[in-house]
Amino acid sequence: MKRVATAAGWTYLTAVYVFVIGPVVFVAAESVNSAKAFPSAFAGVTLHWYQAILAHPEFFSAAWTSTLIAAVSSAVATAAAFTAGYALRRRGRQESAVLSTLLASPLLVPQIVISLAMLQFAGLFGLGAGFASLIAVHTIHGLPFALRLVLTGFARFNFSLEDASFSLGAGRVTTWREVTLPLLRPNLIAGFTFCFILSFVNLPISLFLTDAQTTTLPLVMFAYIESRIDPMLAAVATVVVVVAGIATLVLERYLKIRLVE
Amino acid sequence: MPELALRHVTKLFGDTVAVDDLSLDIKNGEFVCLLGPSGCGKTTTLRMIAGFETVDRGSILIDGEDITAMPPQARDIGLVFQHYALFPHMTVAQNVGYGLRMRRLPAARIAKEVAAALDLVRLGELAMRYPSQLSGGQQQRVALARALAIKPRLLLMDEPLSNLDAKLRDDMRAEIRRVQRQVGITAIFVTHDQSEAFGLADRIAIMTQGRLRQMAEPAAIYEAPANATVGAFIGQVNALKGRVVSLDGECARLGLETGLEITGTGRELRPGAAATSIVKQERIQLSREQPRGDNVFPCRIEAQTYLGGTINYLCRLRQETVTVAVPNNRAFERFDTGEAAFASWSKADCHIFVA
Repeated sequence: MKRVATAAGWTYLTAVYVFVIGPVVFVAAESVNSAKAFPSAFAGVTLHWYQAILAHPEFFSAAWTSTLIAAVSSAVATAAAFTAGYALRRRGRQESAVLSTLLASPLLVPQIVISLAMLQFAGLFGLGAGFASLIAVHTIHGLPFALRLVLTGFARFNFSLEDASFSLGAGRVTTWREVTLPLLRPNLIAGFTFCFILSFVNLPISLFLTDAQTTTLPLVMFAYIESRIDPMLAAVATVVVVVAGIATLVLERYLKIRLVE
Repeated sequence: MPELALRHVTKLFGDTVAVDDLSLDIKNGEFVCLLGPSGCGKTTTLRMIAGFETVDRGSILIDGEDITAMPPQARDIGLVFQHYALFPHMTVAQNVGYGLRMRRLPAARIAKEVAAALDLVRLGELAMRYPSQLSGGQQQRVALARALAIKPRLLLMDEPLSNLDAKLRDDMRAEIRRVQRQVGITAIFVTHDQSEAFGLADRIAIMTQGRLRQMAEPAAIYEAPANATVGAFIGQVNALKGRVVSLDGECARLGLETGLEITGTGRELRPGAAATSIVKQERIQLSREQPRGDNVFPCRIEAQTYLGGTINYLCRLRQETVTVAVPNNRAFERFDTGEAAFASWSKADCHIFVA
């Protein structure tokens, strides 16, 4: 009996890893495949496809735009999540439940619809597609995730620490700087990183909001696939995965923050 | 002039009156315990004095200065919290020095004051540790040192011993009293534990349902409760309800429904008025021989509980039952369950209050 259970457990575990990591490994393998079509059987090892990226400056400018959008929107979303989380924890339980559901509501709307809605909404303020609208939509998209991560931090935060700080002569801003923010730092950094990655790889929310000067990396990749399919795309994807992976490792190693628990 | 004065302080939470028209004075250097059951408003009172809760009506004065509207960080009041509330990301020394740093004192001065505060609570050697590396008792000492390091005008403590185990609690209680005397600071200590209040306080303020019921020295609270609420709350008591039959000055006779008549003392009583008599369990004597006295009743031992230091007998006198606490000592008679005996108590130990 026990042996059967153990075998079943291992099978399950293996299946999970194969399905989670499998596609990533496949993409990475294709990126060094010398065959011309994508996907295709492995023909030989080459770094040609990485070199090919260099001939496409639109990938670099889009990556830079994506980085900027991800950085700004994640910073705004994390700051908003902190203030929202703070208010939610200091309020009544029922009120908090309603408000946090409301704040999570962007999760429930199909992303492509959010993108279209944002285009119309931005129009009300005389804004069209472009950088500002992209940052707004990426912020809204990241907020529910940042809020979850920040709320788990607040769940363990003891508010009498703030009272102690006040009684020792610190004002509210000083108390946030000295006590609240340092103690929530892991959650804030995790929230920021999560938002950053979600923003960087997201295609549909940007769909209607890019213009000639501003376009995001996933959209450029998508446009590329529409015209032709070759392993260069796998090379781009692999670069993204490696950079994100290194960022995660650095965070976990040096800031002692676990993004994946 | 009193160090701290509360004048008609009232606090409402929605429709609930948490603190109701509370007025009291605390003298310089005095140690006062706010004692009451949970939800009586004692912690809310403390939080209003600290400035964490707003005052809906009334005012709070320190040395005659009205601080009712002052923000907590300007009040110069030291606080010790129930769960210590030490900053986990700071060392013991950084915790103790926090308030001094907020006052922008030079680093050398801070180091000196921190060392002095830690010496006061005898924790000098732990300055570089983090709170998580300390025991509960040590953490509470650090919290005390941190509160005192700013040389506050007032020290407030919110059930600081409730998280410690029994033995440590006794040690910490003595430690708090020693430090308070040594510094000479005015202190307010909130607790629901009577033995804590009696062991610590110069004066005890009893609160129930948001109201101050009595404020006096521990012995006065115990021996002369001001009203039925305090009488029933303090110590282990028997409460017997009836009507006032006759009055002679402060000496009253109370007729119980079961026909029993008992003699006690009380004020503001009227003949015929419903009243409650309260007598503490250890003030009732049990004997086989019939004694002479104010209240002597034949009774039967219905049950007994061995508590170590005392033996509690449940005695039936006619239809009434009273609990009698007898010291577990050879000088006192022992009884078997079912045995007949006499229960007696003095009228001076029997307080009668209007119900």
